[in-house]
Amino acid sequence: MAVLTVNDLCKTFGAGTARSNRVLDHISFDVRGQTFVSVVGPSGCGKSTLLNIISGVETHTSGDVSVTSDEGRPARLGYVFQDPRLLPWRTVRKNMLYVQDKDDDQARRRVSTYLDMVGLGQHGDFFPGQLSGGMQQRVGIARAFAVEPDLLIMDEPFSHLDAITARGLRAQLQDIWAQSRKTVVFVTHDVVEAVELSDRIIVLQPGGRIFEDIPIDLPRPRRQSDPAVATLQAEVLARLEKMKAITPQAATAV
Amino acid sequence: MTDTLTRRRSTEEIARSRPAWQRRLTSDRAARLTFYVVAFLFWIALAGLFERIPGPPSVVDSLVEEFRRGEVFGNFADTFYRFGIGVALSVGVGILVGVVIGLSPMARAFLESPVLVGLSIPAIMWAFLTVMWFGFGHTSPIVTTFLTAVPFVILNVAQGVQGVSRDLRDMSSSYGVPLGRRVRELVLPAVAGYVVAGLRFAVIMGWNGVLLAEWFGGSGGAGYRARFWYDANQFAGFAAWVVLFVGVIIILDQLLLERLSRRMFRWRDATH
Repeated sequence: MAVLTVNDLCKTFGAGTARSNRVLDHISFDVRGQTFVSVVGPSGCGKSTLLNIISGVETHTSGDVSVTSDEGRPARLGYVFQDPRLLPWRTVRKNMLYVQDKDDDQARRRVSTYLDMVGLGQHGDFFPGQLSGGMQQRVGIARAFAVEPDLLIMDEPFSHLDAITARGLRAQLQDIWAQSRKTVVFVTHDVVEAVELSDRIIVLQPGGRIFEDIPIDLPRPRRQSDPAVATLQAEVLARLEKMKAITPQAATAV
Repeated sequence: MTDTLTRRRSTEEIARSRPAWQRRLTSDRAARLTFYVVAFLFWIALAGLFERIPGPPSVVDSLVEEFRRGEVFGNFADTFYRFGIGVALSVGVGILVGVVIGLSPMARAFLESPVLVGLSIPAIMWAFLTVMWFGFGHTSPIVTTFLTAVPFVILNVAQGVQGVSRDLRDMSSSYGVPLGRRVRELVLPAVAGYVVAGLRFAVIMGWNGVLLAEWFGGSGGAGYRARFWYDANQFAGFAAWVVLFVGVIIILDQLLLERLSRRMFRWRDATH
């Protein structure tokens, strides 16, 4: 069953004005439960706007977006942003409880479980300012998983981190995902990252159209050193090069 | 020729290089104390120069006399009762209206002008008006305190709410955090600095308002007692009450508001 359905979605900033700018142009796709889908594309192709529309932060101009839960209640969303977006005046644990439906024993247990999973079980009473950037981002990831979301959306969560920290967090994300099997939509401009993490890659082209929808059928856990992963990464990169050749805007944007 | 950068000194080294007495002399506490000493000496000088300005000994005599007559505690109890209710109301209403104005452009458009009008009316006008409306008693000073202080609280809180991080608001709305929790855990802590500034204004302006209303309303209280000595042409008695007014405001600001401010920003100290 599809958890996320995007149907004929359009988004135009400043619609009806002389400076209108269409960033998403008749996009349609489904995401089935327990799959990890990456959305890649050059800067300015509408990836983050798409996530903001799915999460309800941004409104769309036309089309439909729906997130469904198979548990007979309103669908729950988790969101991991590029930066951690933690309340600086609340401790790590209280930041995680802030987005829970209720502050009860069950919620506290979930918070502890996911803090342990990201290796921050001992840091629940720390304020965010007392943690490194990588640790704060791990809190952001734990917070998103701890709401037990029907759909987890992640917007380039490792782009602000150094290469070694990002690599460690990617591995950690794979482990947590393997245990929880949450449905994930993951935005990145890094093809290598997308192949390592995803079941499927949606390539957006400048102007906000889907260029290609690529299934990634590789066994997990995946590591970059794995030859099959490296081969597929090269193949996806070659397809992006093809997109650059076909769509001149992409050549300047990538 | 080789240029050498001046060697940078660590904070520990800087601290070690200055003797303890020098550090104490240049501390914030020393600066505050110095001000009080200078103000006191200035007062003595003025009293020596002008006959109609009572010097410290006569003011202290009057103060002791007022305490002996039992006028101080009773009148201050009345004043604090009125001031406390007025300030509490102005802070409660001010935070509520400030948050609403900060969150809703429609509320801002509707309430901005009345708040600005409120800011422009001096406490003395409110004191006259409330005495005319409510006569002598508790109501007039309470309403004066409230009306004098509340626009400052509203303005400060509204400005703070408008400055709450857009990223954190988006994060909260993407997780569907309920409005009440959002106000409690995101908006109010984010505007804590503005609330403290608003509270400080409320205390100072409210104190001003309550004394004026008592001065004109004449039904007991510190302002009433100050007027009694003024009408009796006894400047030492009048000055004794002025010293008490100033003392109370300093104690409220330094002991209560300063501590409250430190408590509200515990999280910021913890990160340094």
